[in-house]
Amino acid sequence: MSAPTTNPFDLVGLDWTHVSPRLTAARLTVVALWLAPFVVAGAVVAALTGATWVWAVPAVLVLVMVWIAWLVPRQVGALRYAEREDDLLIRRGIMFRSLVVVPYGRMQYVDVAAGPLDRQFGIASVQLHTAAPATRATISGLPPAEAARLRDRLASRGEARLAGL
Amino acid sequence: MTATGPTEPTPASAAVSAPHGPAQPAPVTPERLGEDEYAWRRMHPATPLLSGWKVLVAVLAVASVQAGDQLAQMVREFGATGWLIVLGIAVAVVVVGLAYSFLAWRVTRFAVTDEAVHLRKGLVFRQQRQARLDRLQAVDVVQPLLARLVGLSELRLEVAGGSGSAVQLAFLREAEAESLRSELLALAAGLRRPSAAAVPLVEGLAPVDATSAPAGAPAVPLPGVGSRAVGVTAAAGSEPFAAAPEQPVYEVPMGRLIGSIVRSGGAVWVVLLVVGVTVVMVTTRDIGSIFFLLPAALGVFGLVWGRINGGATFRAAISPDGIRLRHGLTEARSQTLPPGRVQAVGLRQPLLWRGKDWWRVVINVAGYSGDDANGQANETVLHPVATRDEALLALWLVLPDLGVDDPRAVVSAALTGIGDDVGFTASPRRARWVDPIGWRRHGVLVTDRALLLRSGRFWRSLDVVPHERTQSLGMEQGPVQRRLGVASLVVHSTPGPVSPRVRHLDEAVCAALLDEQAERARRARRTAGPEQWMRRGDAG
Repeated sequence: MSAPTTNPFDLVGLDWTHVSPRLTAARLTVVALWLAPFVVAGAVVAALTGATWVWAVPAVLVLVMVWIAWLVPRQVGALRYAEREDDLLIRRGIMFRSLVVVPYGRMQYVDVAAGPLDRQFGIASVQLHTAAPATRATISGLPPAEAARLRDRLASRGEARLAGL
Repeated sequence: MTATGPTEPTPASAAVSAPHGPAQPAPVTPERLGEDEYAWRRMHPATPLLSGWKVLVAVLAVASVQAGDQLAQMVREFGATGWLIVLGIAVAVVVVGLAYSFLAWRVTRFAVTDEAVHLRKGLVFRQQRQARLDRLQAVDVVQPLLARLVGLSELRLEVAGGSGSAVQLAFLREAEAESLRSELLALAAGLRRPSAAAVPLVEGLAPVDATSAPAGAPAVPLPGVGSRAVGVTAAAGSEPFAAAPEQPVYEVPMGRLIGSIVRSGGAVWVVLLVVGVTVVMVTTRDIGSIFFLLPAALGVFGLVWGRINGGATFRAAISPDGIRLRHGLTEARSQTLPPGRVQAVGLRQPLLWRGKDWWRVVINVAGYSGDDANGQANETVLHPVATRDEALLALWLVLPDLGVDDPRAVVSAALTGIGDDVGFTASPRRARWVDPIGWRRHGVLVTDRALLLRSGRFWRSLDVVPHERTQSLGMEQGPVQRRLGVASLVVHSTPGPVSPRVRHLDEAVCAALLDEQAERARRARRTAGPEQWMRRGDAG
């Protein structure tokens, strides 16, 4: 077994841009909104029944929340992208790492989406679509101005390098 | 012969609203704007009968199952009158069904211009589809059994819009479908119509306005209606585009096809099924248990039948228009894949085919979703069961130049080889911890023209992706792979049976490959021929 000395995902000569840390807050809010009611309900049931073992339910849920609160910032920190002359690179993941290279000329269309919560936190996501559905090229957590800039840039570059299928 | 007037009312109302003149313009619906000068054509008049019968059979079958008891009771109570009532209902269903099909046929029409094929259909929900010819991915002529008996065909144009995006022209006369296909392929190739003879009007293809244009409609397009007005005054029967000549390349003998099915996984299941049923029947002395296996038996039968039906009389040919594939037992299908439309090729060898050295060759073509209505992906098969030589030939059809000096040796090594022979980059030895059996088969070879990805120790598989067809690239690494310092390379291709990837390469090698491949794909795209294949310098 050889211990990797350098990260193979760090392609040389690349300037990676991180997404906004507000994505962490947005994702944690979603998780909290889902899990908090169950924690409260579990705690209420435990308090009413008085049995000690029932406290295990909210306790486990709280542990899960703590784990997620530890995980999400790392995930968001791992999400980054880089624009090159002819393609866009997107990296994600800590445990299961992946890197996608999308040539501008291969882009079919670009989606910019922002849900209500995203808007509250001032972020948007940009998704690139190629003719291959397997292309997972979504950049979440971009500030709206950056998302718009990226969209326009991708569109103009895609047009300049447009190729057939 | 006249052009469709710009004031022609919508097709559905053509019959009822008679007098329209230029003085009193008909309401122009937005979807019809600016297209009235096209030479709209109709499908064959027998279409409602052919497309309607399936619906009728289904309705009658459902009705007889659902209301069978009531019907039987009615017959018992009323005697002969009951039979008449039942018969009357059946006739009524047939009449309504046929009437609907007929009306649907009346509003369905298509037109071919230099740039696109236009199709209008829909009785209640109007639909209009425009398929750009320079985006044409494949042209299929399909003949279901019944249509084949009466000499009609369906023309199917695939554009790369995902499933359900095909333009289906059903049904046309056989000769007409063939000539239309030649015309479409020639137009898509970038050839232009001779200006004198514009739209070939084959007999049996009445121009739309002969039956539905109102009496007062102008006979010629008004000036300034559209600059792309297409002449429609070609002499009947004239054919500006002859079918491109073709050269047969290979065909599949029926014996080998059946042999391949006998040696397939489906056949193994059949044997297991029969043995299992026999054992159960003998031990329990109960014949009833056979019915529990009926669904499974039907499924296996469907699979086997699909293979036979799709692979029977399989013939491939090459023509300037691209690859021609003809196959099908009951439903005959003739496919034309223009040059450069195949996105990826996969060669597969199931375990039991090893002894015979047979290969199944499948392809990704944008537009072929990989699963048609019957769940059988017969359209994405380039060769259902090929010998080694034929497999090489099939690969050559798609990629005439593999970019290596000795393609035969390279492909042979890629098909069965292990380790790093003929220059393959294989998984490092430490990858055996994640894949103890297959690690020596995982490998990738970069040639000047394509990427060869090899995998599978027992179920051998080789994927070939031309550089200029790479959509996007990816690199993936799981936690165990990270410990071992290996990573997987993924090449994203259009939907289809081939999803090229090579697992467990050395991570540094994988990253370098990803970087180089992105650059190579870009260079290849720049030098690749145009979409309109006849316009390239070295037409071929």
